[in-house]
Amino acid sequence: MNPSQTITPRQPVLAIALGLALAMTAAVPVQSLADETCASPYMKKITGQEDFVYVWTLGVEGVGDEQDKLVTVDVNPKSEKFGKVINSVSVGGRNEAHHSDFTDDRQFLWAGGLDTSKIFVFDVKTDPSKPKLVKTLTDFVAKSGGVVGPHTMYALPGRMIITGLSNNKDHGGRTALVEYTNEGEYVATHWMPTDSDLQGAIKTGNFADGYNYDVRALPRKNLLVTSSFTGWNNYMMDFGKMLTDAEAMKHFGNTVVTWDLHTKQPKKVFDVPGAPLEIRCAWGESHNYCFTTTALTSQIWLIHEDAKGEWQAKAVADIGNPKDIPLPVDISISNDDKLLWVNTFMDGKTRAFDISNPEKPVQIYEKTIGAQVNMVSSSWDGKRLYYSSSLLANWDKKGKDNEQFLKLFQWDGKELKPTFAIDFLAEKLGRPHQMRFGAHALYSQVAQQSDKAQLAVK
Amino acid sequence: MMKTETCRRCTLSLLLVLALASSFSVAADEPPSQAPGYGALPYSPPKPGSYTLPSMGEAADGQVLESSGQPVTLHQLYAGRMVLLSFIYATCDDANGCPLATMVLHRIQSALRGRPELEGRLRLITLSFNPKHDTPEVMAKYGESFQSGGIDWHFLTTRLETELQPILRDYQQSVDREVDAQGHPTGKFSHLLRVYLIDEERRIRNSYTVSVLHPDLVLSDIETLRLESSAPARPAANAPASAPIRAGDDKSGYERPDYQTNSAALAQRQGPPADLFRWARHPVLGLPPLPTPADNPMTREKIALGRKLFYDRRLSLNQTFSCAMCHIPEQGFTSQEQATAIGIEGRTVRRNAPTIYNVAYLTSLFHDGRESKLENQVWGPFLAANEMGNPSVGAVIDKLKSLPDYRGLFEKAFRRGPSMDAVGQAIASYERTLVSGDAPFDRWHYGRRADALSPAAQRGYALFAGKAGCVQCHTIGAKSALFTDNQLHNTGLGYQESMRREPATTPVQVAPGVTFDLSAASIGQVAETRPGDLGRYEVTQNPADRWKYRTPSLRNIALTAPYMHHGGIGSLREVVEFYNRGGVPNENLDPLIQPLHLGEDEIESLVDFLESLTGSGVDTLVSDAWSAPVGER
Repeated sequence: MNPSQTITPRQPVLAIALGLALAMTAAVPVQSLADETCASPYMKKITGQEDFVYVWTLGVEGVGDEQDKLVTVDVNPKSEKFGKVINSVSVGGRNEAHHSDFTDDRQFLWAGGLDTSKIFVFDVKTDPSKPKLVKTLTDFVAKSGGVVGPHTMYALPGRMIITGLSNNKDHGGRTALVEYTNEGEYVATHWMPTDSDLQGAIKTGNFADGYNYDVRALPRKNLLVTSSFTGWNNYMMDFGKMLTDAEAMKHFGNTVVTWDLHTKQPKKVFDVPGAPLEIRCAWGESHNYCFTTTALTSQIWLIHEDAKGEWQAKAVADIGNPKDIPLPVDISISNDDKLLWVNTFMDGKTRAFDISNPEKPVQIYEKTIGAQVNMVSSSWDGKRLYYSSSLLANWDKKGKDNEQFLKLFQWDGKELKPTFAIDFLAEKLGRPHQMRFGAHALYSQVAQQSDKAQLAVK
Repeated sequence: MMKTETCRRCTLSLLLVLALASSFSVAADEPPSQAPGYGALPYSPPKPGSYTLPSMGEAADGQVLESSGQPVTLHQLYAGRMVLLSFIYATCDDANGCPLATMVLHRIQSALRGRPELEGRLRLITLSFNPKHDTPEVMAKYGESFQSGGIDWHFLTTRLETELQPILRDYQQSVDREVDAQGHPTGKFSHLLRVYLIDEERRIRNSYTVSVLHPDLVLSDIETLRLESSAPARPAANAPASAPIRAGDDKSGYERPDYQTNSAALAQRQGPPADLFRWARHPVLGLPPLPTPADNPMTREKIALGRKLFYDRRLSLNQTFSCAMCHIPEQGFTSQEQATAIGIEGRTVRRNAPTIYNVAYLTSLFHDGRESKLENQVWGPFLAANEMGNPSVGAVIDKLKSLPDYRGLFEKAFRRGPSMDAVGQAIASYERTLVSGDAPFDRWHYGRRADALSPAAQRGYALFAGKAGCVQCHTIGAKSALFTDNQLHNTGLGYQESMRREPATTPVQVAPGVTFDLSAASIGQVAETRPGDLGRYEVTQNPADRWKYRTPSLRNIALTAPYMHHGGIGSLREVVEFYNRGGVPNENLDPLIQPLHLGEDEIESLVDFLESLTGSGVDTLVSDAWSAPVGER
């Protein structure tokens, strides 16, 4: 519809101004449609060629300086250092480095440690090729009232919302969402709904376990979605020991919770059995759904709005043979909502699902990335996919299968073609985990073709 | 000439704002290119007062100029009012930047017209970040269309860049002058739109960027703050004051498809402290007088200090572990969530964390009995690389000396500063207070109350003391019962663990009621080499001591699953079944371990009996533990 048909200007000069306004806005997708391709919609995004990949890396005893570090890799094909490690910042200790993400203005990268619950804040604006550790939050547990294991760092306007995985009382899975300002000041703790305090949420099935894992927002629906994994006891335990420990295996999350994004109040608790991990929401204006995958039961679940405007959850596809426990880990959605990449840790594969029909995802491609694979990060255009190997320090494979790599593949729509690989053990770095992108152009003062509010870099 | 051009742009910018402000009739199906603030909110705004807006910190002060040219500080303008603060530059023609902010503020001003209760309490502020161009005169011109009465609106600028920059920093306004491809200034700025809602006490309560800056949302927030200041905060709805005294993450029945959670809110894990000194000295039915070593008599000060040390997570190498992370009060002072413990960095501990209820009565400590005094035992976990991981005694002592909240506490308890002995004595003193007797069994057996024990449990007791022979190791005396002989025995379980071959497949439960068989090869890929465990032999190197482990007390046994030294048996019934089979034959099997030939009913009765051994003081001790500081910093 042409908006001018619905507006009656009061006077000619206003009409001129309005025309100007609409002309300016017409070419500008303000609501950031995606990042590259899984981060907060409130954040600046890189829509062109990324220059750097920041790899939040776990220190390994006996490897290099044995401590966690943020590793910067040059990934601009025009650079002489393409595919090389160009910087590394060690942070002290092995903190179970895990996830990281930027503040909404993309000036700072927040990187969390699931063990020590420290959060390391890097300035990535001053020199994107050399992130600088500018702040370490050491009192996350105390400030939050006992939340352990800061996991997802997710940008909301002016603040970061952080999923906890555990607590300092029993190291189990009951935990919370925690908010901080971009400056690193504690704001609030939002405990996950439990049976003894559902906080007004509706327990739609049998479970309200109080566990947490990932968080994603769908702003136009005022929706926040969280998933559930397990507590410190399990994510820090040797994987083989845990698999054979019947008690430990009872302590996994089986829930997805929908929240009111604005008020941070939980609305519905859904049964999603088998540890639903990463959440990816669709970007299309009318695509009111998100996906998650269950690590233990190996299913794709659709969290969707039904015809009555109610949010629901249902399993829509299996991933590999669930009885083999392929262990789906990271997932990545394409910017057109047509493709979902699903990594399975145990068989080291990445699988592409056609999600054009979100109710019936169909696997259309798979490739073995390595002996093990965990994270996948896609460029905005979906042509470049970066893979890293490490899941958790004590869950990674042992012996020869303990490959630790960062690999870049090119996706031509039919096939993944390897471009480069870095052996993080040979480089004496450690276990590579989360990958985030950097670009000089994000911070360029050169006028962009498009509107600043788009927050995009072409 | 330049000035004329600039003013023209300024006028256009204002017209743009007005035009956009007039376009609210655009329905929800406007093109996606417009910021959400221009259209109808696609969902119902939250009901004011139904939620809270936690403080995002103090709103910073700064020196600014009114559009009259009068100097003023931000805090003077904030005083006693709610404030909506936006940053703009007057020539900004980015429809989704400054004009959006001004339009939203204008919309709010219009919506609140006729709301006298807010007129004196809310102030709108628009501050330029381009003082070179945006003089007070320019800001006056910019704002003149919005001075229509009602909510007042100040259009501010600054005198100097040096006065502006601290404000921009404090309010996260990253502002860069834009240049063209040749490096020439374009006169525009690259910035991230931010609007702040500040309460009457100068605290930032919300921050809005382009994606969420919508008049209806901001109005809800303003109204919420207004209601908040006129009504006291309410407690969370339906939240009981404290959680029941039990493991908060109850997984009973998890193996069944119809399992339902029974989880307790951590925020409710709270209770009153107890007078542990008095508690420990009070006679307890079924237990002998509390033994205390002559060189470590109990005092209130030692108990209090020991309790603080016991729960302090800072007393591990990486500040993540206290004694209580494995000896969890509501989990029977053990850990019910895994078979064998794990220490710092998730390192494997070979054995199940034993309960420390009634540990004062033990003369043999650890599963292999390698310590005999609590004062010494304390240091084992402190220094074990796979438990609390401290590098040395001195490192712990030095840490305690450096922690301000310990200042004076050792001196008060021991008349000297922190030392290895004092730490051991303090923690041992606290642990000795964890006395729990007066169980239904005690009231029946020692208290002579016939109705204190169910008939089934009474039958169980008869088996326990008779046919099953359990009492031979889990002793019961004439006046009291420790349910342990403080000796070590080989039941064959350790032998079995050492000698068993890995099964081809292992059942792995992946969800309630869902179990898959996982191959040994799959598990082997991700499993460390399983550490051996030879029990008492590791202390004596006597082959006859292979796979001997200490007899645990059975008091509170219903609270301390999973069972046995390796935590490999999940229920009391399975434990009884294990002994009913006569343990596992091996050359060192204790002769007391024999097949028992118990029937199903007898097994049930024995379990009933074991469940009658839960002491009456559990709630008091757990509640006290919940009130202890955890030692976060």
